[in-house]
Amino acid sequence: MRFMRLGLWLLRRERSSGEWRVLLLALIIGVGSVSTTGFLGDRLKRAMGEQGASFLGADLLVTSSRAIESWPASSTQNIPAKSSPLSTSSLATSQALEFSSMVAKGDAFQLATLRAVDAAYPLRGTVRIAPQPFTESTSRPALPPPGAIYVAPDLLPLLSANVGDSVQIGEASFTIAGVVAEEPGQLGGVFGLAPRVFMRADEVERTHVLQPGSRVTYLYQFAGEPNQLTAFSATLKPTLDSTQRLIGSREGVETLRGAFANADRYIQLTALISLLLSVAAIAIAAHRHALRHYDQAALMRCMGATTAQLRTLYAVQLLTLGVLGSLIGVAIGALMQQALALLILPDAATRLPSLGLAPVGIAVVSGLLALAGASLPALMRLIRVPPLRVLRRDLPPLPLGAWISAAVSGSTLLLLIAWYAGDAKLVGVFVGALAGLVLVLTLLARLALFAGRGVQRLSHGPVRFGLAQLLRHRFDSTLQLGAFTLALFLVALLALVRSDLIAGWQQQLPPEAPNYFLVNIAPYQQAAVADYLSQHQLKASELYPMVRGRLTIKNGVPIASTLPPELRDSNTLRRELNLTWTATLPANNAILAGQWHGTHNAAEISVESGMAERLNLAVGDQLGFQIGDQTLDARITSIRSVKWDSMQPNFFVIFAPGQLDALPAAAIASVYVPPGASGMLPGFVKAFPGVTVLALDKLIANIEAVFAQIIGAIQLLLGFLLAAGMAVVIATLLASLDARQQEAVLLRTLGAQRAYLAKSLWSEFLALGLLAGLLASACAEIAMALISDRLFELPARLHPWLWLALPLAGALLVGMSGWLTTRHITRVPPMQSIRALG
Amino acid sequence: MTPPDSAQFPAESSSASQPPSVVTARALSQRVSTADSTLTILSEVELDVKAGEILAITGASGSGKSTLLGLLAGLDQPSSGDIFLLGQNLSELDEDARARLRAGRIGFVFQSFQLLPARSALENILLPLELAGRTDARERAAHWLERVGLTARAAHTPRQLSGGEQQRIAIARAFATDPQILFADEPTGNLDADTGARIIELLFELNASAHTTLILVTHDDALASRCQRRLHLIAGHASEVAVA
Repeated sequence: MRFMRLGLWLLRRERSSGEWRVLLLALIIGVGSVSTTGFLGDRLKRAMGEQGASFLGADLLVTSSRAIESWPASSTQNIPAKSSPLSTSSLATSQALEFSSMVAKGDAFQLATLRAVDAAYPLRGTVRIAPQPFTESTSRPALPPPGAIYVAPDLLPLLSANVGDSVQIGEASFTIAGVVAEEPGQLGGVFGLAPRVFMRADEVERTHVLQPGSRVTYLYQFAGEPNQLTAFSATLKPTLDSTQRLIGSREGVETLRGAFANADRYIQLTALISLLLSVAAIAIAAHRHALRHYDQAALMRCMGATTAQLRTLYAVQLLTLGVLGSLIGVAIGALMQQALALLILPDAATRLPSLGLAPVGIAVVSGLLALAGASLPALMRLIRVPPLRVLRRDLPPLPLGAWISAAVSGSTLLLLIAWYAGDAKLVGVFVGALAGLVLVLTLLARLALFAGRGVQRLSHGPVRFGLAQLLRHRFDSTLQLGAFTLALFLVALLALVRSDLIAGWQQQLPPEAPNYFLVNIAPYQQAAVADYLSQHQLKASELYPMVRGRLTIKNGVPIASTLPPELRDSNTLRRELNLTWTATLPANNAILAGQWHGTHNAAEISVESGMAERLNLAVGDQLGFQIGDQTLDARITSIRSVKWDSMQPNFFVIFAPGQLDALPAAAIASVYVPPGASGMLPGFVKAFPGVTVLALDKLIANIEAVFAQIIGAIQLLLGFLLAAGMAVVIATLLASLDARQQEAVLLRTLGAQRAYLAKSLWSEFLALGLLAGLLASACAEIAMALISDRLFELPARLHPWLWLALPLAGALLVGMSGWLTTRHITRVPPMQSIRALG
Repeated sequence: MTPPDSAQFPAESSSASQPPSVVTARALSQRVSTADSTLTILSEVELDVKAGEILAITGASGSGKSTLLGLLAGLDQPSSGDIFLLGQNLSELDEDARARLRAGRIGFVFQSFQLLPARSALENILLPLELAGRTDARERAAHWLERVGLTARAAHTPRQLSGGEQQRIAIARAFATDPQILFADEPTGNLDADTGARIIELLFELNASAHTTLILVTHDDALASRCQRRLHLIAGHASEVAVA
């Protein structure tokens, strides 16, 4: 107790010491970083959990690509037909249709996701409608009055429309009666590629948008007592085919939560890098603190303090700093997560549940672990200092076995990483990547310093002296360079990914590549559409009829059973594929194996090579497809390569003509509309109201906007990384402060002016920042070239601005932190310095 | 086990009532192994210091004075031989037990003062009192600050004090816990002659009133001559010489 009090007393007296400040700063940055992501992740997870049933809008949801005509009899006595209201004797029911369509006003048109609902929708949760965007909303049924629709607020500016205006959907006209402020299952408008519109189910017919073969999802909702629901789903399940899904409210949330948990884990790992960099800064600061307190510890031992008492004393100090730093970090995290929430969920940030307590615990424990791992080796040496040091100043404290230090720090770090990564494989990948990165950065930093030697020889005066400092403290310089390069590199890489991929993709398109997709062309419209396009002399692809079907059978057995477990969940098997048929091999396709079926009218198909490889398919295999309620078999007669970025309609599976003709099939085509001719599009939309017109540039712009939101959020996290990098620079500089001060005293005694010292310090830090910037530029260019080439098959290119911006940013940030840490060296009169150094 | 309080045995007491030994060394040797040889720093030193005595350890630089002081105070362990400090055989005690033995009973004054740089004069005196868990720590610290005439400097840090003032703080700190034995290592070594003389005056004056056993290392003959006994070291060999 006495020593705890003494520890606190000493800590209070030393609170302004540089080491404690850096240690606290680094801890705040590290904990701030992990708690920001922790808080937000927790809020999103709880939002999903708390919403429960209201997330689905029902207790039970059945989705199907076609209307379900018959329902199990046990609990539903009145089997609903497609057009009759769905009702059961004991469960509340609601039925909705979801499909995409164009919404037009004058010459403006926009793709929207329409949900046609009945009066009961939603069964659980609420829909809130506001009279104007961003005004107070009221909870109302989603069913608009006849002749009216409710729209998502982001649709209005896209159409230059206001509430009360009239808009066209297909062949019918509707009045915008209100704005959707909230609906079940919606956390925000992040992926607002096609804004939501609510309309009446009984008015779908008059739009004439839905034609045979149109892509539409039928949503059947059920709500009731748990035991009724259980009985109902048990009898319903066996009647559903593989294209239909039954989702319980818990299950719906769980699926989403699972996907979210994965994304969340990677973001947490990004935050962990900041924490690990902070650990480096803490370790350096703790080492310096120990170094400066050997005398104090020896004196206390001399006065009778035992090792246990010293341990208590220093542990109390460390714990106090740890708790203080963690709490400040958590407070900063709480503020930052709100900024992050506003960035990625601008509409829903205020509706998220309040801050949870669990992330506070996780962040504080992470902070204390990081602090312990980083500073224990230094403090263990401190308490083992021999008391004889009071007589012989040169006596070092008992050496702590290198393996003990490594074991203490290493196992704490591993524990932290394992905790955040979750599974062993990810821990391995993360540790491996981290080790590789440290190795590469160390090598690069050493190389850069070696090159700096040449520059130093050519320089003179204070610059030469400053550069000499940089080269002399080689270990410190390597660490500072490494930490700062890492931070700058990651920030730059994200910026490049954001701008390059979009720009690169657009640049790579051949001139006159199709820039519009025409989707959902009903069979009766297909001839007219082709005529319209040729009349307007537009370069269009062939019209490909599309049928949706799921691949289920290979050579008589379920295809999943022929695959290794990790491939069974492949996207190609899970979702319905777009199947087409044609006698001519599409442009940009090439036969790799077998023979193109041509006009051969038989049950034959051609499969895309990537899909064939993933699913282990070969020419001669017999595949079975579930299309609607029927199964269709066909033999693979060719394997094709497809140029996916050709902007043409591309297909995994192409049937020989004659096999699918009987099925209802809406067609797809791509078309190039020259910049001057886009005025014809409103005319096209009016002429073919049911056809969906997808503008690729708008799509790309939308993707870019979503990208920008996500990358902006990650960059906010990288701000912590930059701060942690600066903490490392400051910690290493502080560690060398005494030696620097001694040199400065000597130089000033010998007649050096303050300006000389200042110049030499600035040269050192600017050089360090410039080098870090150059290294980061090189790393970012290489990483970007690899990403472009391997991941996106885009040509690599150089970014001259990067080589200017990063060194400048580096010089500025390192220069500032370096100068702020060391400037007083130049200001203190030599006599005072001599006294201070004893 | 605890030896009698040395305060009962004033230094000037006659030899009729023999005070107990507080520090005893038997065949004390200290050797250091270097890469290619073994260096003998102290060789077979025999010493017996009674409560209340003032002993000077003298010798040239490198003769082993500070090493002997460190061993006698239990700050280090000898290569061979035994040391009894306040009745305890130090070779039977581990590092922590030796620390406990020192707590509050042994005081130190160093050549380089060894004040904590970030702490005020008063706080430096407080430190051993806090370590010993004295409830009256603050009053005692203030009292000893006054005894060394530096009450006005209570809030000053060491770097704001002169060398002489720093050593006076160190002396106040050494006496603050009422130690039975005070070890002083070249207490005037870092001071000019005048300041050194004043410090010695203060040290002896306080020692006389506190009846503390004083063992000091010095190469100053004038100082050594003021002590009751003098142990002279030549290349690690000790011999007691008569005080002039």
